[in-house]
Amino acid sequence: MSLFRPARTVTSPSGDYWELYVSKTALPAWRGSDADDAVDVSGYGSAQFDVLELPVMVLAFFWANLILPLARVVLMLPVAVVRGRRSRAVRIEALRTFPRREVLLWTTTDGHAPRVLDEIAAGLSQGKIVRPVGSVYTGPE
Amino acid sequence: MLSSYGRHGSDAYDLVDRLANGRARVAAWNAYVCQTYADKLAESCEESAPLARALYDLARTWLEHARTSDGDTRLELPAWGTLVRSQEQLVAMRETLDALRTYLAFEIGEDDPRLATVDAQLATVDELWIPRPTPELRAGIGSALTIGLKAAAALGAACLG
Repeated sequence: MSLFRPARTVTSPSGDYWELYVSKTALPAWRGSDADDAVDVSGYGSAQFDVLELPVMVLAFFWANLILPLARVVLMLPVAVVRGRRSRAVRIEALRTFPRREVLLWTTTDGHAPRVLDEIAAGLSQGKIVRPVGSVYTGPE
Repeated sequence: MLSSYGRHGSDAYDLVDRLANGRARVAAWNAYVCQTYADKLAESCEESAPLARALYDLARTWLEHARTSDGDTRLELPAWGTLVRSQEQLVAMRETLDALRTYLAFEIGEDDPRLATVDAQLATVDELWIPRPTPELRAGIGSALTIGLKAAAALGAACLG
């Protein structure tokens, strides 16, 4: 069971390539801020725009969209890991990156996880999204 | 306060046993379903109070139907406002479904194949029931219990009519 290595890889009849990940940890969501909220860019493109503001805007952009979200993930990751270890719930995520990124989520319990994983893999290999007994399919994330 | 509110419908527990099969007994069964569900929810947690109150009101309405033997006998249980229920609410729903199934099994026999629709939902709930379930699992358990409660209510109405 790993967050970073797929438990299975499946190719559907239409050529879709799916990676199936099984984990007990729900990673904290990446929540970037809207840079427009952080910096007032209303004067951009006009005579009022000061080129000296550019570094401040770039810094603010990285602060809002990289540093703050990263700090949030780093702080919340241990909580998510501990919560996952204490729970008997298991997440099975199917990831497809082409033609567009898509993640499908099933949740099951540790006792059913191997069977549910087999059924999901068998379904995707036939181009079907199945709903195995003992699992909850919540669809695209 | 909520328990005193629900006291008016407590006749539902007796009335369904006293009546002969027919429209009045179906109405009494509907009152019994609503009263049982409401009592379990009222015991569970504060956030269930609005739904419990709606169910108590329904139970009283169905009791009146049972006494006058008039009106439609189709029960529509009030809907939850959210998809994900708390653990306490799920326990209340499960206890309600267990109580309804017990009543039906006593009425039509433990081996009656018509109980399969209710048992299938209870089996789904058992598959997903773990300590500290995630919101996704709680949504799945809640959906199965909702379907099971509707199936049990409909089966009772079909058997007692």
